[in-house]
Amino acid sequence: MSWAVRITGALLLLAGLALTAFKVVSHELPLTPTENQGPWQVELTVTVRGDGQNGSIRALLPGNEAGQRVFDERATSDRLAWELLDRPNGRIGRWNGWLEGVHEVVYRYRVQSTAVSVPLATEGPLDEVPRSVRSLYLQPSAAIPSTAPGVRTLTEDMDLPPPTDPIGRIQNVFAFAVHEIQSVPSATSDVLLTLDRREGTASGKEQLLTTLLRAVGTPARQVHGLILADGARPVDANWVEAWLDGQWVPLSAAEGWIGQKPADRVIVGRGSAPAIEATGARAVGHRYRALRTPLRPDEIASLMAPDDPLLSFLSLYRLPIGVQSLLQLLLLLPLGTLITAFFRNIIGVRTYGTFMPALIGLALRDLPPLFGLALVGGVLTIGVSTRFALERLRLLMVPRLSILLCVVVLCVTAIALASASIGARDWLSGAALPIVILTMWIERITITIEEEGRQEAARRVIWSLVVAAAILPVFQSEHATYLMFTFPELVISVMGLLVWVGGYMGFRLVELLRFRQMDAT
Amino acid sequence: MSLATLRARGILGMNRRNSVYIQGLNERSLYPTVDDKLETKARCEAAGIPVPKLLGCVRTHREARSLPEIARDHPSFVVKPARGAMGNGILVLSWQEGLLMRGDRVYPTEDLVYHAAGIVSGLYSLAGTEDVAMLEERLIIDPAFDALVADGVPDLRVIVYRGVPVMAMMRLPTRASGGRANLHQGAVGAGVDLETGRMGRAIQQDAPVAKSPDTGVTIEGFQIPHFDQIVEVALRATDETGLGYVGADVVVDANRGPVILELNARPGLAIQIANGHGLRPRLDGVDAWHAAADRTDASVDERIAAGRAVSRRDLV
Repeated sequence: MSWAVRITGALLLLAGLALTAFKVVSHELPLTPTENQGPWQVELTVTVRGDGQNGSIRALLPGNEAGQRVFDERATSDRLAWELLDRPNGRIGRWNGWLEGVHEVVYRYRVQSTAVSVPLATEGPLDEVPRSVRSLYLQPSAAIPSTAPGVRTLTEDMDLPPPTDPIGRIQNVFAFAVHEIQSVPSATSDVLLTLDRREGTASGKEQLLTTLLRAVGTPARQVHGLILADGARPVDANWVEAWLDGQWVPLSAAEGWIGQKPADRVIVGRGSAPAIEATGARAVGHRYRALRTPLRPDEIASLMAPDDPLLSFLSLYRLPIGVQSLLQLLLLLPLGTLITAFFRNIIGVRTYGTFMPALIGLALRDLPPLFGLALVGGVLTIGVSTRFALERLRLLMVPRLSILLCVVVLCVTAIALASASIGARDWLSGAALPIVILTMWIERITITIEEEGRQEAARRVIWSLVVAAAILPVFQSEHATYLMFTFPELVISVMGLLVWVGGYMGFRLVELLRFRQMDAT
Repeated sequence: MSLATLRARGILGMNRRNSVYIQGLNERSLYPTVDDKLETKARCEAAGIPVPKLLGCVRTHREARSLPEIARDHPSFVVKPARGAMGNGILVLSWQEGLLMRGDRVYPTEDLVYHAAGIVSGLYSLAGTEDVAMLEERLIIDPAFDALVADGVPDLRVIVYRGVPVMAMMRLPTRASGGRANLHQGAVGAGVDLETGRMGRAIQQDAPVAKSPDTGVTIEGFQIPHFDQIVEVALRATDETGLGYVGADVVVDANRGPVILELNARPGLAIQIANGHGLRPRLDGVDAWHAAADRTDASVDERIAAGRAVSRRDLV
């Protein structure tokens, strides 16, 4: 491989990868389709029973922040007045009114949640904790008794690192809350009792952790959240956020993670007050339901189009849906040709046509792989038999080819009918079988059979289908489709790889076999 | 067998042949000279190089119908596509007692028309485009080859690189190859010593054979008649093409001596198996020969001498 080829290939490869990396890093476009799939449809139902007096229901509501986006919010109010309060500490939904009998209010929203990672690390000299943070998140309260004697004795006994090492202090306290306190669902949630008995509920442990953090001088706050799971009801959960050098680091004593909030946790609100409470009511209860829903194309568009105006202008997600699905197919083709080039120039097998395997792969994308290949095999067999039957009529080439085309069209029609009658309607919905390509293929197979024998024809047909079969999984992969569509600049990288394959001057693998006799001399 | 062995043996692989030698030395615009046999024939005739005589041409379907009439005057003849590849679409026919014969079987004249129409439609042409069917003189094979060949036209393939003959192979058609001198189809390929013109080891379908499968005569050591003349004709013909890496197929006619059958801008690699030698040391040797001095005016004899030297590895 010459240097010019190496460098050109590398430049193209890197150019595509660099653009992709830029979009991933600076605009947080996910590399895998799973991350952008399915926001959660969450429904919170609060039921209160009132006996005839004014009252209100308060519920912490999730908002947009790092790792989550909330949209499509709707509330029903059931004879009450609903308002949404935007407080510095988070959003609150409030239903006011005359509470009499049972009121059932529902708040629905959709939320897209991703993992959030805030490493437990500092950069340079520690920033001073801002006054606002200190006054709100360092003070003791009834729920967070960080100056209680028991807490103080414990932290004095803990042999902590000096205050200049906040990470060490956080880790010490975290380790104590995780390992020294038993999680017992039936135990108390009271901080001091939890500390005293060395056992508590999950939320008791989190509150204790918050208390201890504040006691050692780290601002900390309680987080109310939801744990979402496929096929199960969402579970209320608490965790903690600790202030470290200008950032809130998420951590959980009950579950033992630190610095990384998993994607299935939605932050509902913050503070020590209950997530849902009511005044003027005799009883209050709530339940959650959640369902993972597929993204609508316009939502994908708004999620996937980067904020940058230029990149957003270039985003393919802006295009009409029909054009999008066409482009999704087209952008896979370069991958198919790369595989074909590899098979032909590095391995050295002979296939029919340069693009035929890729186009066959495209056509069979929506079918079960083996079935699709069998289908092509069937059409080819019928076509070649027809071609031999036509041989006796001695037709001129253009009409003869046109007759073969008719046969292929009839085959495809028959396949469509057959698939409809057994209920698989979408077999041929994607790209139609490349009819012209199949026709030319039949003609060329016939000529090969005549000129070079059945064996050679069969070998080339089989290799063509093998290459198509190698391309199929790539074409069928959601991940590959997603990557090529979200990062079309990867086509430039594919070009780079093709430059490399094209500049490969070494032996083809089949030449090992072909020249094996040379050993004998 | 490993890639390292192939490299050590100096084997030229398909990728390198295509990229360095064909793309690097054969200018695309010159391809028609060799791909179109009519053009090759015209060029060679103008330069006084012997080629099979052209008896007639068929360019349209209408003309195809008159082909049996044109052919009527010639006791035996060959029909071939002007732009065919690998010997495809070639028919060897003769008249016997007013009947058109292909080998020992009657070949209906309407089949001939149909075949010519197929050629004209581009059925056998390299690019699938419209083509011309040529009616050509049938060569009479030098009787010396009767010992090795029962049917078909044997030819000597000479690879000429930058004006120097670097490797040669005798291609002996067999019954298995249907009388065609094409290795893919089962013809025997025999390596040829460029110094002596004697055949060396031989292969059929990439496997060694010692004797002619049809006559049972030992191939190794068989002297090719008029060998020096063959190489000279090959060289003069390839000089006409302007191509840097060409295969010349030469047939020895009983009356006319060496005749250029066709030229090939993409000569195959099996010649290395037949000779038991890789091409690369010889090609490198020719490059060195060119680098050593200005060879633009080197005579045919000097170039043949250089070819013999690289085949002995003297020049490397």
